[in-house]
Amino acid sequence: MTTILIVDDDELFRTMLDAMLRSEGHQVLSAVNGTEALSVLESHAPDLIMTDILMPDGDGIELISTLNQQARGIPIIAMSGGRRAISLEFNLESAELMGVKATLAKPFTRATLRQAITDALHA
Amino acid sequence: MTQPAPQTASQAAPDRLAERYAQLLQRAVLDEDPLVVETALAEAAALGREMMRAEVPLEEVSEIHHEALVALAQAHPQVPLTQVANRITAPLMEAYMAYSLSFREQLEHRTNAILNARIDQLRRLESIGTLAAGVAHEFNNILGSIIGFSELLTDEVDPAAPGSQYLQHILQASFRARDLTARLLTFARDMPEVQAPVDVVAVANETLELLRATLPVNMRLVLETQATQAWVMADTSQIQQIIMNLCINAADAIQVRDGRIRIAIETRLDSTSEAPSSKPSSEPASEPPLAWVRLSVSDNGEGMSAETRARIFDPFFTTKAPGKGTGLGLSVIHGLVTSMGGTISLDSTPGLGTRFDIDLPALTGAAPDPATTTDPP
Repeated sequence: MTTILIVDDDELFRTMLDAMLRSEGHQVLSAVNGTEALSVLESHAPDLIMTDILMPDGDGIELISTLNQQARGIPIIAMSGGRRAISLEFNLESAELMGVKATLAKPFTRATLRQAITDALHA
Repeated sequence: MTQPAPQTASQAAPDRLAERYAQLLQRAVLDEDPLVVETALAEAAALGREMMRAEVPLEEVSEIHHEALVALAQAHPQVPLTQVANRITAPLMEAYMAYSLSFREQLEHRTNAILNARIDQLRRLESIGTLAAGVAHEFNNILGSIIGFSELLTDEVDPAAPGSQYLQHILQASFRARDLTARLLTFARDMPEVQAPVDVVAVANETLELLRATLPVNMRLVLETQATQAWVMADTSQIQQIIMNLCINAADAIQVRDGRIRIAIETRLDSTSEAPSSKPSSEPASEPPLAWVRLSVSDNGEGMSAETRARIFDPFFTTKAPGKGTGLGLSVIHGLVTSMGGTISLDSTPGLGTRFDIDLPALTGAAPDPATTTDPP
């Protein structure tokens, strides 16, 4: 059984993703931002982290950067509803450049989600 | 007007100006007293400024000058032509220089007004773009929940029940909304600034190829880079514009002899981590330091004076011949670099050359293709 940590500030989206991942047979942990995610990681060792990029109080890019430094080796999927449009906005391409295993542009379907998880875990 | 006008020309009508010009021209050319000649020159400068204020067009100024010369020649046919020619130059230059200085000031004033209006417009457009991107971003998050919950609900509903059909309609409507936000984002992306990860080394190579085709053959263009890649967040065309502009400026500064333009790209660490530079830096830093990509363009051209250096980034400041430069290139570069969170500085010695250094925040955390990074440049 796979344990997945969801990091997203959007509560409704987090609830949905939680339900969807459980329906796929995964165990789920969740955090509302990067800072909370890091404290969850102190006591848990998920198999996969799915993080939003744009979040107040500790965004996804910061989280990915910190995790890269700590070299935990947990695969990461970056998610975002934003695209590269706002100047200086960090986006999925930046996350990709930082070595995440897969990216998901919101909104995504269950089929896309499954594929991303498979890619991330078996890459 | 601080200069007291000897002939009271309270009304600056063109014919009055012409009359004054003819008079001071006569004094400057015919009078033997150096003091009188000197005063005539000062008056010529004042007159030039006045002509500009009265918006006398340049052709009319030439006309006034021509008429005054003809009148002078007719009134004093005995005056040797060389005396006229020698003495006419000074008042003419004074008047003309004052005229063109005022003209330039007025032109800059007007151009600034136009430019400000354009900047306002760009700002408005950009804020619309930012708004569109922000709305699209929010919408995508909301749609993510709607689509996800609809798919989850599909599991719970008997496929034969009407509810299953309704859920399909919710999904279809959501996908339409998703396409709409994609279009909104495309619109926002067409706004002036589109920043994305850009490899400065790759852009420099492409730009130099273009430049080599354009610059004179006696100009050596060298790219020196310690890294095979150097990533920053930028708009590719902006990086291209920066390199192009700096290299063209460099080429203009060395057009008189064989020149060398050197473009260097290096990745630099923040000064705080650079401080203990005496010890060998083979061990990796425990904290990832703030890194910068430094793009340098140096030439062995004529260099700049301190006065030029002080004004070099001012809009409309140019040392190029009229028509050769707008004086906007470096102020635009300055704006671009600043908008990317970077800095630009220069080092110049008259007679030796100039070097511009641009520091842009490096995109870190990236582990580009290891196969390419081990290759020596």
